[in-house]
Amino acid sequence: MSAWVYAARRLMLAVPLLLGMSVLVFGLMRLVPGDPAVTVLGYKATPEAVRALREAFHLDQPLPRQYLAWLGGVARGDFGLDFRQNEPIGRMILDRLPVTLELTLLAALVAALIGVPLGLLGGGRRGGAADRASLAVGLLGVSLPDFWLGIMLILLVSLGTGLLPSSGFVPFTESPLENLQHLILPAITLAASRAAVLGRLTRAAVLDTVRRGFVQYARAKGLAERAVLFRHVLPNAAIPIVTVLGLQTGYMLGGAIVVETIFTLPGVGRMTLDAVLERNYPVVQGTLLVIGAMFMLVNLLTDILYGVIDPRVRKP
Amino acid sequence: MTRGALQRRWAGPQGVALAGLCLVGALVLAALCAPAILPGSPTAIAKDHALRGPTVAEPFGMDDLGRSVLSRVVHAYRVSLGVAVGSVALALLIGGPLGLIAGYAEGVPDQLIMRPLDVLMAFPAILLAIALMSVFGTGAALVSISLAVVYTPVVARVVRAAVIAAKVEVYVDGARALGATVPRLVLGHILPNAATPILVQASVLMAIAILVEASLSFLGVGVRPPTPSLGLMLADGRSFMLQAPWMVVFPGLAIMLAVLGFNMMADGLRDWLDPDRP
Repeated sequence: MSAWVYAARRLMLAVPLLLGMSVLVFGLMRLVPGDPAVTVLGYKATPEAVRALREAFHLDQPLPRQYLAWLGGVARGDFGLDFRQNEPIGRMILDRLPVTLELTLLAALVAALIGVPLGLLGGGRRGGAADRASLAVGLLGVSLPDFWLGIMLILLVSLGTGLLPSSGFVPFTESPLENLQHLILPAITLAASRAAVLGRLTRAAVLDTVRRGFVQYARAKGLAERAVLFRHVLPNAAIPIVTVLGLQTGYMLGGAIVVETIFTLPGVGRMTLDAVLERNYPVVQGTLLVIGAMFMLVNLLTDILYGVIDPRVRKP
Repeated sequence: MTRGALQRRWAGPQGVALAGLCLVGALVLAALCAPAILPGSPTAIAKDHALRGPTVAEPFGMDDLGRSVLSRVVHAYRVSLGVAVGSVALALLIGGPLGLIAGYAEGVPDQLIMRPLDVLMAFPAILLAIALMSVFGTGAALVSISLAVVYTPVVARVVRAAVIAAKVEVYVDGARALGATVPRLVLGHILPNAATPILVQASVLMAIAILVEASLSFLGVGVRPPTPSLGLMLADGRSFMLQAPWMVVFPGLAIMLAVLGFNMMADGLRDWLDPDRP
């Protein structure tokens, strides 16, 4: 199977999954007890106002029709109107998406820069002092609650030294330096435990590769240990490393909710949480689907990349 | 046994698993005996003690309402561990049989069970948990149920994979040839041999459950105050972190310790029971 056919097949499989996700998101929001119109307007609302809102948001129509109307809108990028401010939700998401994407990508970079060397340090010599230290760091890292790390970084770095801001956001187009200053602590917060996961996996992948015949042969022919590691071990260990980095990047989209809240970043994650707390269900519905779809997209790209690097995966 | 051999034995996976088990055991014990060992109430307000720093009597200090942080941490473990055990048990109870059927039958039943579960796994866990909490409302029991929904597909996948791997073994064929019924085959031969990955996964899920419960409570969509919860304590402590850093330091360390215990148990078990261990 060629890489293109493989990619096309993976894409086709994503369609039913995306439809399933839309049904779940839609259904979930209809499970909320009580009348959403009453929830929004409050119990003192007049029956006329409730009826008007129900009509405006098509809440008076049968569920399948409501679902199809919503899905049709979503397919055209129209996520409907926000219950509270009557703003188009699609626009709101589009305004906040760049923040979340930048945060996630920066965090993925930080995770790779910390995680891969951590794993190489350990995997290079099994059982040595460096290996044990990297194992311990990895174990502590995966147990680290990210929101606590964020609070600690604010306490020690922002409030302690005043070097970096603890909240707020400046767009990249306005000032790249200030943008980075506002994102570096959130990115470290989001990256830390994922870097530890990546480090543990890198170590396992390196150890697995070192056992192979071609590495033993490279060593036997007298190649320097550094050359063995970088020329033979790392390229072969890269496949699982890339896969896990991709999966971890997807999980960071979920973690962004927590990190954006701590550092008051105007991203989609915080928008989701605010909407949940305000019971603004059309917004929750929209952001859930968008974050879910991005999560799926990242996983899909990882899958395809995996198939491109390793032809064995493409075999049906 | 020589000293070297002894060292190797306890430095290996058994040691890690055992250390994790001891850590978890100690925390469970502390949580169970909380009222007996710490007579102070976790919810009694004493304004004149507000924001008092750590002392010998109160090593974790007092919070903004004069409540003992140590007492609250220990009581909060009841919620943390209760939610973790509840959610994982529920997920095993629902996801286990689903995975068993999917893995044993394969074909159409497999597709019917696994494809809908794929949809649940298509969302980041914390996002799905927040969405479920927004539907269910807040409270410890509801956090358990939400987490169980999030974990059910994970458990089902692990059980399914383990069953598929175990059912082609020769001893299963042998039992079948001897006329074993399907339930006997599954419960007596396949499941016991698929237990290791399930046990490891359960331990990992416990660790994640503690983290997610704390995150949800921190974000205001988890446990309801005044129930002491580690996440809620961190959320409260944020407003006072300059005057009273102990309000954020100790609850965070407490979360990490519990998560570390379960992760060590999972790591140790995985390596210890791994037949390919070098």
